[in-house]
Amino acid sequence: MFLVPFFCITSLVGLALPALAQQPADTLRRQKLDEVVVTATRTERSISEVPIPVMVVGAKQMKAMGSVRLNDVLGEQTGLSIVADHGRGVQMQGLNPEYTLILVDGEPLVGRTAGTLELSRVAVGNIQRVEVVKGPASALWGSEALAGVVNIITQKPQPGTSGTLRLRYGTNRTADLSATVNAQGARLGLTLFVDRYSSAGYTLLPESGTATVPPFSNYTAQSRLTYKLGERTKLSVSGRYFIENQASTYQVAAGTADVRYESRQQDYSLNPTLTHSTANGRLFATARFYLAGYRTREDYTYAADGAPYDNTYFNQTFARPEVQLDWRLGSKHTLTGGAGYINESVEATRYDAAQHMQSYYGFVQDDWTPLPGLNIVAGARYDGHNQYKGQLSPKASARYQVRPWLAVRGSAGRGYRAPDFRQLYLNFSNPVVGYSVFGTQEVRERLAALAAAGQLVPDPATGLPLINAALLDRASNLLPESSVAYNAGLQIDPTGKLNITASYFRNNLRDLIETTPVAQKTNGQSVFTYYNVSQAYTQGVEAEAGYQLLRGLRLSGGYQYLIAKDQGVEAQLAAGDIYRRDPATLLTERVRAADYGGLFNRSKHSGNVKLFYESPAQGLTASLRGIYRGRYGFQDLNGNAILDTDAEYVRGYTLWNVAASKTWQQRYTLQVGVDNVLGYTDPAYITTLPGRLLYASVELRLARK
Amino acid sequence: MKTSSPFALLSLCVLGFSSCSKDDKKDDVVAPALQAETVSNLAAGVTTTNGGGGQPTSATKYTFYSFANKAVVATADSNTTKWDVGFRGTTVIINGGNSGPGQGGALVQSGLFTDVATAPETGFAVDAAAGKAIPTGSGMGWYNYDGATNIVTPIAGKVILVRTATGKYAKLEIVSYYQGAPATPTATSVSRYYSFRFLYQPDGTRNLK
Repeated sequence: MFLVPFFCITSLVGLALPALAQQPADTLRRQKLDEVVVTATRTERSISEVPIPVMVVGAKQMKAMGSVRLNDVLGEQTGLSIVADHGRGVQMQGLNPEYTLILVDGEPLVGRTAGTLELSRVAVGNIQRVEVVKGPASALWGSEALAGVVNIITQKPQPGTSGTLRLRYGTNRTADLSATVNAQGARLGLTLFVDRYSSAGYTLLPESGTATVPPFSNYTAQSRLTYKLGERTKLSVSGRYFIENQASTYQVAAGTADVRYESRQQDYSLNPTLTHSTANGRLFATARFYLAGYRTREDYTYAADGAPYDNTYFNQTFARPEVQLDWRLGSKHTLTGGAGYINESVEATRYDAAQHMQSYYGFVQDDWTPLPGLNIVAGARYDGHNQYKGQLSPKASARYQVRPWLAVRGSAGRGYRAPDFRQLYLNFSNPVVGYSVFGTQEVRERLAALAAAGQLVPDPATGLPLINAALLDRASNLLPESSVAYNAGLQIDPTGKLNITASYFRNNLRDLIETTPVAQKTNGQSVFTYYNVSQAYTQGVEAEAGYQLLRGLRLSGGYQYLIAKDQGVEAQLAAGDIYRRDPATLLTERVRAADYGGLFNRSKHSGNVKLFYESPAQGLTASLRGIYRGRYGFQDLNGNAILDTDAEYVRGYTLWNVAASKTWQQRYTLQVGVDNVLGYTDPAYITTLPGRLLYASVELRLARK
Repeated sequence: MKTSSPFALLSLCVLGFSSCSKDDKKDDVVAPALQAETVSNLAAGVTTTNGGGGQPTSATKYTFYSFANKAVVATADSNTTKWDVGFRGTTVIINGGNSGPGQGGALVQSGLFTDVATAPETGFAVDAAAGKAIPTGSGMGWYNYDGATNIVTPIAGKVILVRTATGKYAKLEIVSYYQGAPATPTATSVSRYYSFRFLYQPDGTRNLK
């Protein structure tokens, strides 16, 4: 095995923890105080003391849940829903996956399809913890951190040498084989994680002749190398590679020949980071470079003779140098500042040429403790961009410990999401139906070309093509989507055993980007581009409670109440301008405001109840989790494009998941589990629920101090 | 898509909610209230080849309809004023402008079919090279097209006011684009079958109640 050299290194000195870790004094009062998070402030802070709502799922809990991929983990958390749209993404505070930034060790994962970053691309076998920050975090993290941030923190090298080998097998011939290696010596440290995940897929609607999820297999390799250059200087280099292959055969339309589909997607990243702290520990500097890429290729060929039917590709790269300085000023202030530059490019079937975007940014933050028990964090970030107006994103938050058992916290901030490549550069004409969609940077040129070819309908008076100049101007001035959000909440710990958090959130979204027709083609179809139009809001209440029933046995529950509405629709309803047609009688009536169910795909009620048991002495863990998702809108059925009748909802459901594990000699672990014990499915509407899934896994752990 | 000739598939039924018998016509009685008519499954440009996306191939002919006679008009009469509206795929034409020799025009209004009491004095457009009186395209005229499901849904609350070939007025509401007007059209539903209701005012006034 090529890793042997690292096993030989004897561990003498552990790496110094970053200097700014603010460890709370009384770690006994609550076990949770141990947990340190970095996503909320970009510095290490105790989770219970940050003024911003942060949720952490640790490695232990992920193991007890039997999770394999990131969607398994996030899908069981309060206030998060896994939604399917060109992949499984996370819906946070009622906002679509494109508004949540996904980070790995503080660096963004790239490769979104129609805004969704497929969460199953992330294996959890080497994750130390997942941090979820709810509410806009653009003041620190920039674009996409509008609903919040998911930061995946991977394992750092630990003293000694150790390794694990794990095999898991379950329903649908789903197999996961993974190995981890950890080694750390005086100067050098290493972690390595390799994983192979494959499944035969599943078919929910056999009569359709198409697999819901075709067979696939993927490989992940992730590694981190740390090297202690000096007493207070550390170099860390991490890298990631992922590849997935998938294939299936299906009919494009009834009565046509079978087409074979083969796809390959890859992502990679390389991330060298240099950190240095001063001798007094007051200054901590980080310089990092991040290079990432995402590539997909899809080939469609006729199954009978292998003749090409269609093929597409998409290649994206992202490069970013960044520096950050954390400065502890006296005992009350921690100042954080940073700056960076991003160069992004994309080359794809539906783009004319390789497209490049550049942006630069700077951020500052003051983490201030004016009085004992009062903490204020205020900061702002400016992002300049070569394609749209610069964005200033401020945020302020505060937390006050009113009583030893009661704290209040609140925050207000701005979040934004930059227009993506598709909205700027797309060049797509539907070959069958005949409409065209152009990105805002392309549309003028494309319209001129269509006009020259005589494919646009002319104005009879002037003979010139009829182009909606007002809309075209709005498209040319495309702005990022943005939101101003508020959060207020309580943390209550009445006894050592019980803890409760509750918060209210509100996101006011504006300049949401939609498509609009700008010209009419002679084939009767339209030319579309993108523009800022709608305003919407999401608001709700989230509450979580945990209670230590017995030693090792913890009961917890979470609930989210959510309202998400389009303000344009609300105005139209108030004016009596929205109608609906009864699908049975075909009669039309006016829709009342009270019938409006809000944005599609949001559950008004969702929640969970969980029981975790752990007995370290006996090497036992067990968990029972119930995950409820209330009914949510699926699609319009009565001709008004809004959610307003019961038939337009998907039924609510509860999934029950159980898992149990036993470890012998701290070395061998056997785990068995069942996800979706009751086998709930809704084949017509929910493609991501394959039914009951049984699995078993064995793990071998080797360690030497 | 099944194979059949355009008119063999044409199954048309005109259902009057009630018929006004000629015996009622007496000079001393107020003219009876106009009755809305419902037309189901009017085949509109059904072809042997499916152009996809709910669109017919270009070779298809329009299906013409007369409000006055409550009947389909033969293709041979396309250059006459016998027809008032023509359907092909999602395109609806009127007998006027560059579509026909009549005085036809149209205007798409938001509102409830039953609420529209009169045809407006102004605002009627005629078919022209620059566009149809009843605008084509998703969200522009009478329907929305969902690119993900390929389903064409008539927009609820769109009333088409029609000036007929002979200059009379009618109001029209298209309620389904699929054979049998299924409550939930799917990818396998057969498209280009119009169901609509209309109310025709034969006396030449703008009164549509």
